[in-house]
Formats: sequence, C-alpha cells, structure tokens
Amino acid sequence: MIFHVNHRTAADVTSYVMGTLPGVIDHVGLDPQAAAGLHVDLDWLPYRSNFRDPVIARRAIDAQGHPLAHGEIAIDLAQVDQARFEAQVTEALRSLRAGSTNQDPAYVRLDQEFKPLRESVIWQFNRLFWQRLNEWQSASGRGSEAVPGETSDANNPQSIEDNVADFWTLLRDLDARGQLPAEIFALEIGVGTGERAAAWLDRFKELDEQCGGLYYSRLRFLLGDYSPATLEAALAAVHRHAPIVAVLSLDALNPFKTLSFLRFKILYIHLTNVYDNLPFDEMVRRGEGLYLVEVRPYLDAAAVQRLTTEHARDAEQLTDTMKRLLEGGPEAVHQDRAKGVAFWRCLWHALRLEERLRAVDPAESDHLPSGLSRSYLEDLLAGAPADARFQLSRGAAESFANTVPLLHPRGFLQVQDVFVTAMDAYRQEFSGPGKVDGSIVSSVNGALLRAVASRAGFDVHFAPFRYRAGSRTSVLYTTPRD
Amino acid sequence: MTLPILPTTVIGSYSMPSWLEHAKNDFLQRRVSRHDLDEMYDSARKAAIKDQETAGIDIVTDGELQRDNMIDYFAERIPGVQIDHSSKRFYYDYYESTVRSKLASGSLGLAGEVKFLRRYTDHPIKVAISGPHTLVKRIQNLHYPSEEAFALDLARVMNLELKELARLGATYLQIDEPYYSGFPEDLPWAIRAVNTMVEGVDAKLVLHVCYGNRYGKPSWEGTYRYLFPTILDAKVHLISLEFARRGDEDLQLFNEFKVPFAVGLGVVDVKTTEVESATLVADRIRRALKVLPADRLVITPDCGCVHLPRDVAFEKLCAMVEGTRQVRKELG
Repeated sequence: MIFHVNHRTAADVTSYVMGTLPGVIDHVGLDPQAAAGLHVDLDWLPYRSNFRDPVIARRAIDAQGHPLAHGEIAIDLAQVDQARFEAQVTEALRSLRAGSTNQDPAYVRLDQEFKPLRESVIWQFNRLFWQRLNEWQSASGRGSEAVPGETSDANNPQSIEDNVADFWTLLRDLDARGQLPAEIFALEIGVGTGERAAAWLDRFKELDEQCGGLYYSRLRFLLGDYSPATLEAALAAVHRHAPIVAVLSLDALNPFKTLSFLRFKILYIHLTNVYDNLPFDEMVRRGEGLYLVEVRPYLDAAAVQRLTTEHARDAEQLTDTMKRLLEGGPEAVHQDRAKGVAFWRCLWHALRLEERLRAVDPAESDHLPSGLSRSYLEDLLAGAPADARFQLSRGAAESFANTVPLLHPRGFLQVQDVFVTAMDAYRQEFSGPGKVDGSIVSSVNGALLRAVASRAGFDVHFAPFRYRAGSRTSVLYTTPRD
Repeated sequence: MTLPILPTTVIGSYSMPSWLEHAKNDFLQRRVSRHDLDEMYDSARKAAIKDQETAGIDIVTDGELQRDNMIDYFAERIPGVQIDHSSKRFYYDYYESTVRSKLASGSLGLAGEVKFLRRYTDHPIKVAISGPHTLVKRIQNLHYPSEEAFALDLARVMNLELKELARLGATYLQIDEPYYSGFPEDLPWAIRAVNTMVEGVDAKLVLHVCYGNRYGKPSWEGTYRYLFPTILDAKVHLISLEFARRGDEDLQLFNEFKVPFAVGLGVVDVKTTEVESATLVADRIRRALKVLPADRLVITPDCGCVHLPRDVAFEKLCAMVEGTRQVRKELG
C-alpha cells in the first residue's frame, strides 16, 4: 500500500484512516500483490460541496482502453465518518477487484461513457448557472459574494485603489514619453455584479479630478461577459460612468474573437475568478506513467431517492430529464419554473463523478491545449513530484493566449484567482473541482500559464492577495518578455 | 538581373518551422549535434529561398533561419562579447551577454551567408544585420563610458564586416534598428553609429525601423514623427518602415520632409495570420504613390515573417507580389 497524504492538516483523521485500512484490506481479502501496489490518496477537499463521495475507487486503462493492473482508492478526509468508513472502503476495494467502480444498482449513471473532465456534463451545468444566474440566486437568496455579508476579494476597496494607482502610473509614464494613445482602453472580463468595475471607475475618476482632469474623458472601459443577465446587472452598477462604458457579450475563452479590432490597443485587462471556471483536465503522474483522468457522472442511492420522491421523477428517466434541463433550462423539466429550479439545484448538489485513469501515449497530443507542445509538458513534469495529480488548465491557457494579443505593448493583464504556482504544490493540497452555488470552482495551474505566457512573449508573476488575511487568492500579472 | 519598378523584398526572416524550433532547443540541451543542426539550417534556408523565388520576390534573403533571434546571433560573433551559454533553455530567449573590454577588430563570420545566397539564387540578395543601437540595448556594457561610445565602437567593428559582405557580392545590406522606437531620445547618436557602420561600404544600404516584432507583437507604439528630422542625416539609400499594421498616416511625413532616400513600404502585416488580398496590397501602394514616386518605393512586409506559419507567410508574399504587379501594370 502506498499512501499519499496530499494535505497538511487533519492529523487525527489521517491517523485513523491509515490505522484502519490494513484491517479492511485483510477483511476484503485483496490479493497481497495488489494490496502492496494499492495507491491510496488521502485528500482534504476544501469545498463543502464537491463531486466526490468520501471514498472512491479508480481503475486504470491503457491508451487503447484495456485494463491495467494499477488501482487506487481516494479518500476525502473532510467527509470521513468513522461509523461508515470501513463499509465505504470495503465497497471501494470490492469494486476495484471486480473491475468496475460502483456496483450498487441504486446508483444512477447520468452518462454511460467515461470522458475527460473537460468534456464532462458538469460544464453544461456550469454554463446553465451563468445563463440563469438570476433564477438560481432568487431560489438561493444569495448574491454573488463569496461569503454572504462580506466583501469578496474581487471587490476589496484597498486592492482596487492600489490597482488604479498602478494604472495611473503607467498612464503618466506613457504620457511623459508622448506615447499615450488618444483613447485609453481598459477591459474587465467576467464582470460579476459590476461592483468592482464601479469602484474602480469611481476611484479613477476621483484621481483624475484631483489631477485636473487628465485621462477620465479618454478612458473607454469595456465590460465583457458571456452572460446577458450578468452584463445587465453590471451595467446598472456602473451607470454613473455610462458615457465611457460599453458592455460586450464575449466568450472568456476567446476575447480576441470579439475584440480583434482592439489588437495591441488595450492598456489594462482584468479578470477575477474566471479562469477557475473554465474547462480543464486533470492528469495523474504515477512514477513513469502519465494518465488522463476520465470521469462519469452519477447519483447515489440517497440522491436518487430524493429526486424521485421530492420532485416526482422517474429514476429510470433521470438522464433524459437532466438533458432536457441542460438544453432548455428549468422550464423544460417543469411547467412551474420554481419547481424546475428546485429540481436543478437538487440534481446539481447530488451530482458525483466516478473516475478512472487513462494512460497517455507518449506520442499523443490530444490532451494538450492548443499552442502547448509536448516539450512544455515535459518541462512542467521535470519540475513535478513523481506522484502527483495536477490540472491541465486548458480553458485558462486558451483564454490567456487569446487575451494577450489585445494588450498594448505597455499594457498588462491582471488575473485574480486561486493559482497553484509550482508543480510541487500539487502534493500539498487538493486542487481539483468543487462547487460554489451552481458553478464549478477549482484552482488554476499557474505553472502551466507561465509556460504558455513565455511562448506568447510574456512573463507572469504571482503576488499573494495581501488585503485579507487567510485569502487563498493570488494575483497574476504580466510583464512583456524581452 | 535588372530590378523592375516597385521591386519587392522581404525584411529578412522567413517562417520558422516548428521542427527547427525543436531542434534548436534540443541543441541547447545537447540532444542534437552542431553538425546535424547546421544541416537542418541549410535545408531550411534553401527552402526559404525557394519559397521567395516561387512567390516572385525580387530581392531575396536566406530567411535567417540559422539565427536564434536578432541579438544572440551577432553577440556570439562580436569579438570581445562574453556569452553565458548556460543562460537559456529556449532558443528564442536571449543569452546573458556582456562586454568587459574594448572590442577587438575581427570578422563576424557573416561571409558564409552571402556565399550561401550566391550559390543558391541568381536574384539580387540582401543580408540584414542588427544595428549598433539595438545591440547595445541588449548587451550589458561593463567597459564603455556610455551607450553611445559602445555603439560607435561596435559600428567600427561592423563596418569592416559590411565592407567584406559587399566585396563578396551582397547587393543590399540592411541594418535593423527596432529599438529606436522605444528610445527615440537616443536617435542623434544612434544615427551617427549607423553612419560609422556604413562608411565606405559599396552596396545598397537599407535602414529598417519598426516597432518591434518580438514574439510576433510590437514592443512599442507611437508614430514615426520622432524620426524626423534626425533620420534625414542617415547615409543610407533606403529606409524601410511598417505601414500595414499601423496604417499609413505617417506617409504624410514624406510630404512634410524632403527625404534623401527611397522608402521601403510595409504593405503586409506580419503580426496576424490573416492573409491580405492582392487588391488590398495594391491599394496600399497606390496610396503611397500619392506621396512618393514609384522609383523611390520598394515593396516589403512590415517586418520579418519568422512568427508566421509557413503557408501563411508564403501566401502573404504571393499577395504582396501580385498586388505590386497590379500597380506596375497601371504605371505602364
């Protein structure tokens, strides 16, 4: 048995689990060779709502889909309930031995195929959430702040003030050199409530007035988001600055497609909590082997029970109902939209992902984001521990590569998010997906972005968010690479 | 070979194949030998020449595919510049390079480029060399009292090389100075350095000034107004500028100032993969002809094609040539 303790807390639970497992393995009668090679991941999932059961089994297949001997179980220490733990491990070990993940007929698979995480149905849920944000929030009674009643890191006033000051310094410098463009373009991608943009513009205007009205009238502030509902709310929030603000419907994966007319013209681009919400894959390195994590959505017996009784749904038809929801929204599953939303919320909270590991062929490049060659992945892996699970933040990499061509030669991109800045850090905490409200949340592979950026002619730097003690957020900013 | 009216040329570099990028990186990691890499360079350069000829380019280069970037290739050759060869893993990065004592006079070893071109094409040929201003901005100076002093001494060394290249048959010699646009305040001494560099050189002399093309993006923005009137002192035959990406407003500067040289007109944007139509190219030339006579225009891309995919680079050159032919017909 090979234990991997991927966290730095919960020593008591860890001890309990490590002490209990050998006995359970004996009890199940796992083949001694298989038991010796069994890989056990001990994670601590930081998200209260997530896609994992307390104990899961992972089987491995080769690139052609044939089963491999490698098997793993993964335990979320945050969910360990000692009364049920041994039974859960027993079930996981038996399913590993039987050659499948879960056998319980009460489980309902919402897809029959395993797919890379990026193609999973969870991204359709994520899209629905942002498209129907108002409906979700009406039902939850919560706004978009990360912690109700508190200011999110995105809207931290001191951070915004410092940010405006930095931008102002850039403008003054360009102006002094006679290189300041007639129109000063700034862009916010993923606008949230619009509160941050409003505070930023207020501060910019204030500073401009103090300095005799130099730049505010030349500022063109663009708000970009793919959710019309979000844009509408944001526009209302910045109404004080309406003459210099424009809203644009754009895809965060490819801002350049919408804004190509502003190539090399935007002096400041800002994103908060966008990259973590873009599709990604997860990869697993086990010694010499490299695997792509594939997932399959399912509901456990308790969830199936709830959905069938509370929402009067037929267990056999849950997959079809889910498809209707994702294609047509809550009204497509219930005439009473509120009931449709309630079903959606219940389904999302119950959704779990089975996992398996598909070995990656050394010559294969399908798993790589466009613009990233194998040599970059090899460089990343050279700095990674021999056993690690890490994200291939495809969406973030794609978004970055399709955003920086908009930057003026002296402009900069700033991204506020939760980044894993070194591959080694993947051994220290769970960085995979969780749920916040109806959306996906995850860390972003900063080391990967560093590699993508260097190819695009930028250095990226990560500064911890210093305005709130205990914040997990850091700020990525670019400088041109000479 | 007699050049037609509105002759066409590339700025210098041609599309860098990804396999050659891998080979360059592998060479830095000692996974490819110098001999094998040189063979790859020769093949790539022959293909670059062939592509230019096929597209119909009049004055050709070797595509500069043996160069890692516009600094290192020269820094490694300048006698007296010290290079830390362990300082890069990616070929396109810059080495850490330093000058600690007065530069010696000696060959930069560029003669091979002229001989190679002479062997594989009968077109007029051009060799581009990074200028002293650009080089002093990247090579750490621990000896000379000022950047100007360093640049003037560098120009002295490079002058000997240019004379040798002209003797071997280089028709056009081009000095690349993208850093002017970032440091316009240096222009007076930077032009003096160019003049030192070209003194007594018997070739058509070109000065290329752009806004940078590092990683396929500009390093600076602004207008070419900063060049005037200082640039009028440059003892060159042609000044080559970018107009396609930036628009041609700056052409009006040639109404305002009487220039003693011809103008290389950038009509193809090398920072986008979108291929211009021949019609658009022709239109850009016609607009320039309202300001400058045809016998004082040379048609070029904005800058080197190194960052473009090969098929895109080739199609852009074809469009440039076809657009130029359309205007030539109109001129009779």
